Amino acid sequence: MNIAVDIKNVSLSIKDREILKNINISIEEGHFLGIVGPNGGGKTTLVKVILGLIKPTSGSVSVFGASPETLITGKSFFGYLPQHQNIDPNFPASALDIVLMGRYSKAGFLRWPGRKDREKAMECMSMMGIEHLRNMHYSQLSGGQQQRISIARALAGEPKILILDEPSTGIDVVGQEDFYHLLKGLQKKMNLTILMVSHDIGTVTTYVDEISCLNINLYYHGNPLGALNEKVMTLLYGKNFDLLTHTDSCDKCERLRP
Amino acid sequence: MLEVISSPFMQKAFMAGILVSLLTGLISVFIVLRKMSFIGAGISHAAFGGVAIGFFTGLNPLFTAIIYSVAVAIGIESTGRKGRISEDVSIGIFYSVSMALGVALVSLSKAYNVDLFGYLFGNILAITQTDIILTVITFILVSGFIVIFLKDLFLSAYNEELAQISGVRVVFLNNLFLISLAVSIVISIRIVGIILVSALLVIPGATARLFARGLVSMIALSCLTGVVSVISGLLISYEYDIAPGASIVLASAFIFFLSLVLKKKR
Repeated sequence: MNIAVDIKNVSLSIKDREILKNINISIEEGHFLGIVGPNGGGKTTLVKVILGLIKPTSGSVSVFGASPETLITGKSFFGYLPQHQNIDPNFPASALDIVLMGRYSKAGFLRWPGRKDREKAMECMSMMGIEHLRNMHYSQLSGGQQQRISIARALAGEPKILILDEPSTGIDVVGQEDFYHLLKGLQKKMNLTILMVSHDIGTVTTYVDEISCLNINLYYHGNPLGALNEKVMTLLYGKNFDLLTHTDSCDKCERLRP
Repeated sequence: MLEVISSPFMQKAFMAGILVSLLTGLISVFIVLRKMSFIGAGISHAAFGGVAIGFFTGLNPLFTAIIYSVAVAIGIESTGRKGRISEDVSIGIFYSVSMALGVALVSLSKAYNVDLFGYLFGNILAITQTDIILTVITFILVSGFIVIFLKDLFLSAYNEELAQISGVRVVFLNNLFLISLAVSIVISIRIVGIILVSALLVIPGATARLFARGLVSMIALSCLTGVVSVISGLLISYEYDIAPGASIVLASAFIFFLSLVLKKKR
């Protein structure tokens, strides 16, 4: 099995404040990793270090054997969904225009997408079940549709690694469940390596292969069920938390849809 | 009407005005999409310092203003990016200091016959053949830059980090954009003046964004708004003897508010 991302002894301080401390994580190709932890725990920063957007103070990151900084100038392995997209509702783009942005790193002269790029973009939109939205203006789409457009955009660049930072923000509970199923399907179908940052530790553990619990330090990395114990949770969130577990036979839980 | 078109100085004003409106119409799209209105206003006010250096040293004020404005633009960008001080604070400091420097240098300079009002609010009579040639050259360079980097600019307006991981050299692109912006501002000063040029950097793009469904249509609508504003503004300026900067900006503001009302009614 190939190692997709190898993070070795990564530490990062900004203005004397420690953001990440001696992080070691190795992700195998085709695996689905969830990164959880409290706000301000360094999850987004770690993602940006992996992407090559921020240089760590010490330690190294390699992505399929190459450093992220060299990848950033060439053909990237990444499909990325940033945490806060903050897109102007009047941004002059149709759904297809946004998906085509994912092809810019591969498009030819002056990054103008050609026929092949359009075909790939449409293929990704149809994979997301949103091809009928292609001519809709971005502002006319719902939160869930915008999210699917963003995933289609990230997939259009034919990435080997999909990185999603809090992707379920703005989507309702039922939508979130569908969304995680969709990701799981993509992982299997395309042998995609997926890294997903989330605050929703309960749901994430159901879908991911491995979990990393991060709060400046890495407190746990491994099987998702192993993270759901008091010791790890106390290290991660402090003492003020209640760990609720739900099973299939739990009579207090009401499923929101059949 | 014929009288307006046949007078040589108005022909020059129209020619320069249309070129300036196309230039600012192009730039305005990205100023609006990248939320850079304040930096545009900052650089245009800072240009006064550059013009005053020209008065003081006896060099061509347009030339000194271009050099000075480009330096201020890059200064604002680099201090903001390094995070030492926030960009809005940096703009606030650069532009007020440049205005102060301008006032001090104009007071000290011996050139009493300087057309200060013309530089501040535009002067149709001041437009020379050289100004038109300079405007044509700037228009070719800036539109060339925008065509070559159109997709990079579009992607970085959408999300700068995504642009970076797609291989866009964001800092290089920003610096080129700021240089284009600074040069376009200085070139537009003859027509609209230092104080009011920032309106032409914002209003056409803001008007176009109300209706545009894509980037190309936004560029076309922005340029159209600019051209209509400049032509009507120049005619009003000629008819009522108003400084052209004021009449052009009022015309563009009228188009913007009319568009806003039409958009709400749709």
